[in-house]
Amino acid sequence: MSRAPARNGAAPRRPGDEDDICPVCKSSRYLNPSMRFLVNPECYHKMCESCVDRIFSHGPAPCPVAGCARTLRKARFRRQTFEDLHIEREVDIRRRVAGVFNKREEEFESLRDWNNYLEEVENLTWNLLQGVDVKETEKKLDAYKRQNEQEIKQNAAIESQENANTEAQFAAQREQARLRREAARNEELDERREKEEGRREMVDMMARGDGDADTIARETQKVVLKKSTARRTAAERSRQQAAAKVDNGAAAPLFSIQGLKRVVQPAPEKEYDPFGGYVIKHEYYYLRDHYEHSWLDNARSDAQITAGGYDVREYCARAMMEAFGGLGVFVEDEIREREEMADKGVGTASAAAAGGGGGEGVDGDVL
Amino acid sequence: MKFNIEDLPVLFPYPRIYPEQYAYMCDLKRTLDAGGHCVLEMPSGTGKTVSLLSLIVAYQQYYPEHRKLIYCSRTMSEIEKALAELKALMKYRADQLGEEEEFRGLGLTSRKNLCLHPSVKKEKSGAIVDARCRSLTAGFVKEKKERGEDVDVCVYHDNLDLLEPHNLVPNGVFTFDGILKYGEKHKQCPYFTARRMMPFCNVIIYSYHYLLDPKIAERVSKELSKDCIVVFDEAHNIDNVCIESLSIDLTEDSLRKATRGANNLERKITEMRSSDAEKLQNEYAKLVEGLRDADEAREEDAFMANPALPDDLLQEAVPGNIRRAEHFVAFLKRFVEYLKTRMKVLHVISETPPSFLQHLKDLTFIEKKPLRFCAERLTSLVRTLELTNIEDYQPLQEVATFATLAATYDKGFLLILEPYESDTATVPNPILHFTCLDAAIAIKPVFDRFSSVIITSGTISPLEMYPKMLGFTTVVQESYSMTLARRSFLPMIVTRGSDQSAISSGFQIRNEPGVVRNYGTLLLEFSKLTPDGVVVFFPSYLYMESIISMWQGMGTLDEIWKYKLILVETPDSQETSLALETYRTACCNGRGAILLCVARGKVSEGIDFDHHYGRTVLCIGVPFQYTESRILKARLEFLRETYRIRENDFLSFDAMRHAAQCLGRVLRGKDDYGIMVLADRRFQKKRTQLPKWINQALLDSDTSLSTDMATASAKKFLRTMAQPFSERDQAGVSTWDLRDLERHKEKMEEEKIRELRNGGGKMEGDGVDGRFNVQNGVDGDDFEDEDMDALMRDADAE
Ligand code: SF4
Ligand SMILES: [Zn+2]
Ligand SMILES: [Zn+2]
Repeated sequence: MSRAPARNGAAPRRPGDEDDICPVCKSSRYLNPSMRFLVNPECYHKMCESCVDRIFSHGPAPCPVAGCARTLRKARFRRQTFEDLHIEREVDIRRRVAGVFNKREEEFESLRDWNNYLEEVENLTWNLLQGVDVKETEKKLDAYKRQNEQEIKQNAAIESQENANTEAQFAAQREQARLRREAARNEELDERREKEEGRREMVDMMARGDGDADTIARETQKVVLKKSTARRTAAERSRQQAAAKVDNGAAAPLFSIQGLKRVVQPAPEKEYDPFGGYVIKHEYYYLRDHYEHSWLDNARSDAQITAGGYDVREYCARAMMEAFGGLGVFVEDEIREREEMADKGVGTASAAAAGGGGGEGVDGDVL
Repeated sequence: MKFNIEDLPVLFPYPRIYPEQYAYMCDLKRTLDAGGHCVLEMPSGTGKTVSLLSLIVAYQQYYPEHRKLIYCSRTMSEIEKALAELKALMKYRADQLGEEEEFRGLGLTSRKNLCLHPSVKKEKSGAIVDARCRSLTAGFVKEKKERGEDVDVCVYHDNLDLLEPHNLVPNGVFTFDGILKYGEKHKQCPYFTARRMMPFCNVIIYSYHYLLDPKIAERVSKELSKDCIVVFDEAHNIDNVCIESLSIDLTEDSLRKATRGANNLERKITEMRSSDAEKLQNEYAKLVEGLRDADEAREEDAFMANPALPDDLLQEAVPGNIRRAEHFVAFLKRFVEYLKTRMKVLHVISETPPSFLQHLKDLTFIEKKPLRFCAERLTSLVRTLELTNIEDYQPLQEVATFATLAATYDKGFLLILEPYESDTATVPNPILHFTCLDAAIAIKPVFDRFSSVIITSGTISPLEMYPKMLGFTTVVQESYSMTLARRSFLPMIVTRGSDQSAISSGFQIRNEPGVVRNYGTLLLEFSKLTPDGVVVFFPSYLYMESIISMWQGMGTLDEIWKYKLILVETPDSQETSLALETYRTACCNGRGAILLCVARGKVSEGIDFDHHYGRTVLCIGVPFQYTESRILKARLEFLRETYRIRENDFLSFDAMRHAAQCLGRVLRGKDDYGIMVLADRRFQKKRTQLPKWINQALLDSDTSLSTDMATASAKKFLRTMAQPFSERDQAGVSTWDLRDLERHKEKMEEEKIRELRNGGGKMEGDGVDGRFNVQNGVDGDDFEDEDMDALMRDADAE
């Protein structure tokens, strides 16, 4: 979005543009080259900045353009984006409609339904634009908005998420392009430097006089050539790696995968479950919310006690657990089982391992 | 002359054949048999067209499939030449075979060249001729006429309907002249005759655009079957043609006109709503159903067609929010208004289509999908409204095409907004370039659709560059050398002036008086020693102007004046053609003349300087492109990232193909002779990038010359050329008669057998003996001051 401000402020108008005279104060750009025009989306009448300051600084006032007289507020004045004020108005209306009718293609059974919906919306917008049945249309719009509030919000969320994604994607692409450009430039520089070096070496060698000139020239050439090929393959490899990284990278928004169906909105996240699905079920008792104990009443309500986080329910639960703990355990059965295992001698290793993993280590020490 | 290539009997309309022609035909046949694409470089002036035609016609007639030939060339005159060759060939075949074959060959060109209507044909601009013709021939005009309304029609067109639709002209080959005469005689329109006969022709010859420009191709070339043989002749510039056919430039003026067009449409719709609402309703119903008239696309007078839309999209229905005519026009207006707003920005912007679309959506709530259907929807609307003055809607159509392209392609395109014409300008004059960067996009449908595409030219080196840039694979890729009985052209590389200092058009030294003077002396020397015509090529108009004015100051021109008349090419085509005419006259009478022109101008591409029209061609400086152009920069970056073609490699390749093109201008046949001088120090390194046939003729002793050495060498060469030379000397060496050919074939057979016996250790030699190994492989040996920086900066500050 870095370029957006520049683009949005896209109306640095220049001398020579048509209607350079403020319809209110009649001052012209010729005399005041820095003059800027503002419009108010209430009536889209254009006037210069100083007029706006002059007329609306002290609160809402009627539009000075003859025959308009709508009440305007200063805060709502803004620069116009489009040269054609009809379009300016149209876009404002569309913004409003698009904020309400934001159904998505994948919500429709068939393409045809989708297209019909589009046309329906377009008809509605058209009516607003042309001023046909405005009241009725507005009513429809409002009704729809009220009925589908939830959905509209959801779709808006999806859309803004999508926009953010594309924005990030563009940024990433730009960055990558920049990096690649830099890499190419560096490569070129390297190559040139190497060539330089090669030449210097050759001159040196010739100066030292080892061997005849031709052989030296050929030799150095070969070396440089080899180097440059090596570098080129290296560069190619790194490029491929980079490409591969991009291809299977988890950095999903950095590049686009085409042909995928758009992701359905993810299901709302479940609450965190620390036991991973394990439920503690009491077999022998049922924990009640409230136990009648007069000596506990104080602890239940006294702020001095509860402030520290003491919870009577916690106490009850614990007392119950301690009371019933061990009820389902039959010691004899367990001993028998253990002995059987020991007899077989197979289970020992695993049992030992399970029992703290010390067994093996001990064996190793003994033997 | 009649001979066999493998099992295929070929009738060749001359008694002798050049060895390279034979090799060329063999490779062509190999390509056709294998059913793939190929790139062939055939030296200029060795009868490329006739070999191509005679082989392919033989192939067509011999095998039962009767594959159709689509032969594309660049200019009208080249097309006419090819048609004449084809006509001669067919006549020869008829004489030899003793009967006329069932065969049709036609050429197609614009209405402007083929119109017979007495008032329409007088129009100057092609667009107006098209528009006026459409208003006379559109389907609804005919309907109205039938209803008895008083409308203008064209009798030439309507007469065609009285004939059998597949038999509008008799068998045979018609040149443009021929078909015009035939049309005049039978009162039938030559343009529509050619258009309608295309499915029934054996050979079609037309311009590249009919196949490459998607807006035209969709209409004209749709029904050609898959097994057609497609030939692109003179294809060394094909990548640029592809790119241009998909690039669009918008200006404030054209946007204003587009708005006007949209307003007109709006008015027409209102009119029609009140008078003939049913028609609009019909259109609407059709769009709802997502139906497309099967015959709609076939209509000859369609306003425009979809630019390169993928097929699956074409099956889809038009989006609901632009189904109604009013909605669509409002949609267009909004889009145009948005573009106008963008044009107001005072700094350079370059962005990709997706980013453009995103911003568009943020600001105007225009989605990508309806945008994609813009072009198609507009066509449908224009047809429904029965508009006649279609030329008024041209700007609107451009905008629609732009919309469709931008919404269809994420990659390979770039939007560049340039608010100022030049860096120094202060008054904004914005241009929005929607430029195609990928030549492969436009040509892809051609490669996809046709099984054999042949790309050929006199100068198409290095061969591997083209498959890379255009995204296809070849089965045959070959460059032929020129067999010569005597050395009939003398290429030289001059690197130093008469004072031994280096000469170059490189950025740093191009305007140094010493360099300019050296170039002046070089030209003077050659104007002294060359008989008749001298052609000089400069890298750009700007450089040419500056160097000429410097020569003027130095008195060089006055010196040259004594020997030759001096003529100059200008960007104005009329002036240039006048200069050319004068040049020709001067070459035919008296001492001859010098033509100063530009390596990328009209002269370098289309004009031949055969025989005495060009005895010396002088290339002053390496014709690099203007590298500061943003469009070029974007393309270079694209090439680097997509095809791994390095910037310098591409610039150098591009410069050398233009240089080679210039050199090829003077040698137009084997009996021709000429001197080719490359005058720049930097050519020394680039000689390997010259076409093989030039590089082979360039002796090592003729490189790295100074002006006086070059002069001496040229004088010697001209002296040998002055010796009498007869046909007989060439026989058996550079031209073969039937006996020579048989002997050659036997030799090849023997060689093959020997090879087989030797266990095939050697490479298979399936061609002609005239092929040498490519010489000195090391080309990265830039030990001298080949300064890449300079190369990049080597621009004309235009
Ligand atoms: S139909 Fe043919 S002759 Fe008639 S106006 Fe059109 S191009 Fe000219
Ligand atoms: Zn004012
Ligand atoms: Zn107002």
